[in-house]
Amino acid sequence: MNPEFLHKLAELVPQVEGFIYPNEIEIHWSILIVLYPYLTGLVAGAFILASLVKVFTVKEVQPVYRLSLLTALAFLLIAPLPLLLHLGNPLRSYEIFLTPNLSSAMAMFGFVYAWYLMVVLLLEIWFDYRKDLITWANESKFPMNFVYRILSLFSKDLTDEAIAFDKKAIRVITIIGIPSAFLLHGYVGFIFGSVKANPWWSSVLIPVVFLFSAIVSGIAMVLLLYMIITPLRGKPLDMPCLDRIASFLFYAVIVDFTLEGLDFIHRLYESEESIKILSKLVMNKLFVSLVIIQVLLGMLVPLFSMAAAKAFRFNEELRKLSYFVAAILIQLGIFATRWNIVVGGQLFSKSFLGLTAYKMEVMGLEGLLVGIAVLIMPFCVLAVLLKLMSPWKTAEEHAAGG
Amino acid sequence: MKKLPEQVKRLAAVFVIFLSSVLLIRAYAVPAALKDTDIHRRTAVERETARRPVYAGYTACRDCHDDVFTSRKKGYHRNLSCETCHGPGQKHADDPEATKPIVPRERSFCPVCHTYDPSRPTGFPQVNPSTHNPLKPCITCHNPHNPEPPEAPHECSACHGEIAGMKGLSSHALLDCTVCHTTPEGHKLTPRAVMPSKPEDREFCGRCHRKGAEEKDAPKVDLATHGEKYLCWQCHYPHLPEGMK
Ligand code: HEC
Ligand code: HEC
Ligand code: HEC
Ligand code: HEC
Ligand code: HEC
Ligand code: HEC
Ligand code: HEC
Ligand code: HEC
Repeated sequence: MNPEFLHKLAELVPQVEGFIYPNEIEIHWSILIVLYPYLTGLVAGAFILASLVKVFTVKEVQPVYRLSLLTALAFLLIAPLPLLLHLGNPLRSYEIFLTPNLSSAMAMFGFVYAWYLMVVLLLEIWFDYRKDLITWANESKFPMNFVYRILSLFSKDLTDEAIAFDKKAIRVITIIGIPSAFLLHGYVGFIFGSVKANPWWSSVLIPVVFLFSAIVSGIAMVLLLYMIITPLRGKPLDMPCLDRIASFLFYAVIVDFTLEGLDFIHRLYESEESIKILSKLVMNKLFVSLVIIQVLLGMLVPLFSMAAAKAFRFNEELRKLSYFVAAILIQLGIFATRWNIVVGGQLFSKSFLGLTAYKMEVMGLEGLLVGIAVLIMPFCVLAVLLKLMSPWKTAEEHAAGG
Repeated sequence: MKKLPEQVKRLAAVFVIFLSSVLLIRAYAVPAALKDTDIHRRTAVERETARRPVYAGYTACRDCHDDVFTSRKKGYHRNLSCETCHGPGQKHADDPEATKPIVPRERSFCPVCHTYDPSRPTGFPQVNPSTHNPLKPCITCHNPHNPEPPEAPHECSACHGEIAGMKGLSSHALLDCTVCHTTPEGHKLTPRAVMPSKPEDREFCGRCHRKGAEEKDAPKVDLATHGEKYLCWQCHYPHLPEGMK
């Protein structure tokens, strides 16, 4: 046997409780697979926030419209990276498009992803920015004007008719986009929910739970970014906008909490043969990450802090603080949610008789450092996007004009 | 019908280029076998069957190695094909003088199957190679074609099982009991009445262990100084000499 593997096993074996099959001792879906649903969730959530402006015409949220679109794009571009790293062979990944396997849910990821990236997100961003791209192409100097020209696909038409068409197109795309965003993250939930051999995952509610936690995390992420970037630019925060986002966040968290509670009660009441090992799992291995971080810190405390902001009519500073804290805690909580699903589902034996442990590497390809790097990358992409296609110019024109 | 807006044409161009390049690649660059939905990579089967076999199958070995074949057939390794251990043997079977198969005599070979591994079925004979008699090739004690665990002469282990078991795994494993104990037949019938001999002096062990002794596997010590005047077995247990008393 591979001596390296033996060494690793020797570390793990003492942590195994009860009986476990040999191939379950070591966990195979590691931190990278935790990151994948986390990142896609942020995409879906940020997009839903953007669509509030266009489809449901929530005027107050306009200042973060473009920011949410770019956030969604930045996270979407990085979302497949953890999968590529985990699977290896990145140079062969395009093959899932060339030889589609229609009966494999995992192999369909390429198409769900491509649809969302190409048909929804890039199109919407392109239509929204087309006018600005043309203007910037005319205004900037050598290399940049060329870049903008390419980005605008050499389009030049600035007539009112064309602009009106852009607006209409955006609306249509957003309407297609909402079910697509649901599809994207519902799909990620489906991958887990459809594994019928794993009672921790197998549940029809999982796609819906994933979806709402996605919405929660995406909204919270945009809220955070907005609250951090705006002071850095030396601009005041738009309080009505913040209040509005926070109240959406509040309701989304309530729905998410309810759904998860429903799932929990459902499992308890059904009380299938797996219930004993699952309760052991929750009380032993996942106690901190599930009960403390996910539920208490990630849901109840933010709910309480946002509710308090409403009920006691906090002043602006206090409201900002309470939103900020809530948004950070929610990120933490949603990350813990992903962790609990992905890692939790592998911690117990499918014989229902024992538990194992997850030892994260630090250095390796599936290790902590790579995980942190993948987590930082979307923010770097976002920084480039913000530099290249500033969302603020028109947003402020908008505020000034309307 | 109204004219298509300019920007839609541009976008359409991008999509057409993208889609048609995907379709073109799929049509021309992807081999047909990959697209076959009935049997994935049918050509792989053809490619493999076109190869010359490198394995002869264990029945082929019987023609010339009848003795090994029959001894393996009744042993614990009866279900292992010869080529599992000796490697592909077609060439050797065609022309035995020209090519010789691998003969895995080294100690690291057998643990491939016999190292302790929790995923092996219960009852499968497993050992820990770092405590199971270190340093000696497995085949010094086990016949690879009929791997009975070595046993002390039945006559002695029937009554001295513990000693026999301990010696069997010691560095004295290959020494018969009778090398050190001359045992009259009577001992087995009336053991207490007729006792075997026991080594009596340092010279006895010196036969193999003194400097210049003939036994070449035995490590050598200077009899004059090593262990002073004490009997050797006051420090070394003779049935497990590597463990100190
Ligand atoms: C046509 C007869 C023939 C067949 C068939 C044959 N062998 Fe041999 N094999 C021989 C002869 C002859 C020798 C002895 C060569 C020597 O001693 O130089 C030999 C030697 C060997 C040796 C010892 C090599 C060494 O280096 O000492 C092994 C191991 C062996 N054969 C394995 C096999 C296996 C396994 C097969 C079946 C795949 C097989 N043989 C089939 C004739 C045959
Ligand atoms: C478990 C692995 C294993 C299997 C199975 C096995 N062998 Fe061997 N074989 C060995 C080893 C190890 C040696 C070296 C023995 C030695 O040097 O004392 C060997 C030696 C030989 C030799 C050299 C002559 C001798 O007897 O020392 C021949 C011939 C041979 N094997 C033929 C066969 C044939 C034929 C079969 C199938 C019927 C077979 N072996 C199956 C491991 C194996
Ligand atoms: C390809 C795997 C494989 C290799 C290589 C292999 N063995 Fe075995 N061995 C087996 C199997 C299978 C059995 C039979 C197990 C059973 O009966 O359940 C066995 C049985 C044995 C036994 C009998 C144990 C008992 O008392 O039950 C001994 C001893 C043994 N092998 C020694 C060896 C030695 C020495 C070698 C190296 C020359 C070797 N094996 C190489 C698979 C292997
Ligand atoms: C010095 C002699 C000696 C050497 C060398 C040796 N063994 Fe053994 N082996 C024994 C004896 C004696 C037994 C029986 C001991 C027992 O039953 O506790 C045995 C038993 C076994 C068994 C059966 C264990 C069981 O639980 O039934 C296996 C398998 C085995 N040996 C494999 C190996 C392998 C593999 C090697 C080489 C790494 C090896 N042996 C080297 C003496 C030896
Ligand atoms: C029928 C059972 C039996 C058999 C077979 C047997 N022994 Fe013994 N042996 C005994 C008994 C009983 C003693 C006395 C033990 C005691 O006094 O504590 C003994 C004592 C000994 C002693 C110790 C003598 C001493 O002076 O302390 C030696 C050496 C010995 N046996 C070697 C052998 C050898 C070698 C064989 C195989 C050739 C063998 N025995 C077979 C039963 C047996
Ligand atoms: C390397 C030489 C050697 C071999 C081989 C050997 N013995 Fe001994 N044996 C001795 C010596 C030396 C003593 C005396 C030890 C003492 O008096 O402390 C002894 C003592 C004994 C005794 C007395 C009880 C004891 O443990 O002291 C028995 C019984 C015995 N041997 C049985 C056997 C049997 C059975 C075998 C074979 C399986 C065997 N011996 C192989 C050297 C050997
Ligand atoms: C017939 C020859 C012979 C006799 C007699 C003999 N030995 Fe050995 N002894 C050996 C051999 C051969 C080895 C080495 C085996 C190996 O490791 O390959 C050995 C190894 C040893 C070792 C080294 C063990 C280690 O690996 O550290 C000691 C100690 C030892 N014998 C002590 C004794 C004692 C004490 C006696 C007297 C009771 C004795 N021997 C009698 C042949 C003999
Ligand atoms: C006072 C205790 C004592 C006595 C008596 C004694 N030895 Fe040792 N012997 C040792 C120790 C301790 C070692 C290990 C030290 C070393 O590795 O140098 C050893 C090592 C050995 C070795 C292994 C050497 C090697 O290179 O691996 C042999 C063989 C050996 N002794 C044989 C004998 C023989 C034969 C006698 C009787 C003539 C004897 N011993 C008497 C204590 C003793």
